[in-house]
Amino acid sequence: MKKLLIVDDQPHIRQMIRLAVGNSLSLKEAGSADAAFESILAERPDAIVLDVMMPGSMNGFQLCERIKRDSALAGIYVVLVTARGQVADQEFGRALGADAYFVKPFSPLALARHLTDALEKRDA
Amino acid sequence: MNALSTPPTPREFDMTWSHCPWGMATIDVAGNLRDFNPALERCTGMSGATLVGMSEAAFVAHLAVLPLEHTRVETGGSSLRAIHYLRSATALTRQNQWLAGLAEILREPLTSIYGFAELLLTQNYADDIRHDLTATLLEQVELMTNLINEQLDTSRPPAAWSQGSSQPRQRNPGDHE
Repeated sequence: MKKLLIVDDQPHIRQMIRLAVGNSLSLKEAGSADAAFESILAERPDAIVLDVMMPGSMNGFQLCERIKRDSALAGIYVVLVTARGQVADQEFGRALGADAYFVKPFSPLALARHLTDALEKRDA
Repeated sequence: MNALSTPPTPREFDMTWSHCPWGMATIDVAGNLRDFNPALERCTGMSGATLVGMSEAAFVAHLAVLPLEHTRVETGGSSLRAIHYLRSATALTRQNQWLAGLAEILREPLTSIYGFAELLLTQNYADDIRHDLTATLLEQVELMTNLINEQLDTSRPPAAWSQGSSQPRQRNPGDHE
């Protein structure tokens, strides 16, 4: 089963994504980018849903950059999720190598479908 | 596009770089801040020692909380990835940034309201889960109502505009006027 890591400092947002994804993926969660990076190294998830603005030494942009610069991790499918709606932010996310960008508020079911489709396409 | 008849000399280029009122920073192909002009240190309040070698992601995260006009240009070059241009925001820009910051704050509870409502409408959950989700939904409605009452429902402009802040004040439950 494919592995998904949900990274958001808000527990109810993680719960919402967890409920939407259901049993279609194996789920792990992290409440900060630092905790997420440790989990990435240990678990090697297939995909990450990553909030951009989080407290701590690293934000979502920085974690995305760290993943995509590491050849061993660059294949992880990264979905950035953010309340920042400016086009410049989306372009910057793309420049860092993010695979998709969802602006809050978003449909959790649409996000779950997007993840399932993207991971299936990778296997095809 | 305006073309120069002759390219600038190094001295002319240096004058332009050093005296430009816009802060400018170049990002190398590895994604780190390489060069910056004096105006960049002034408008960001960051020292040269902090700036050199900083990753672009960290740099952009720092800029997000400053009242600055900001443009990023991809160079497509082999040695430079991008150039950032910055200057102190005008009053109108500060107002727009404040509103963008407020939109960002309001989108957080709206995400839960949208998401949990969609899940409750389309999925079959046990009663205890439905109860928990509905309670979270109502908490987020209350949070959003408080934000609207405190940040928007006022006849005076936010103090943050005149103080140069681009960020609406995120209030905590224990805060008092």
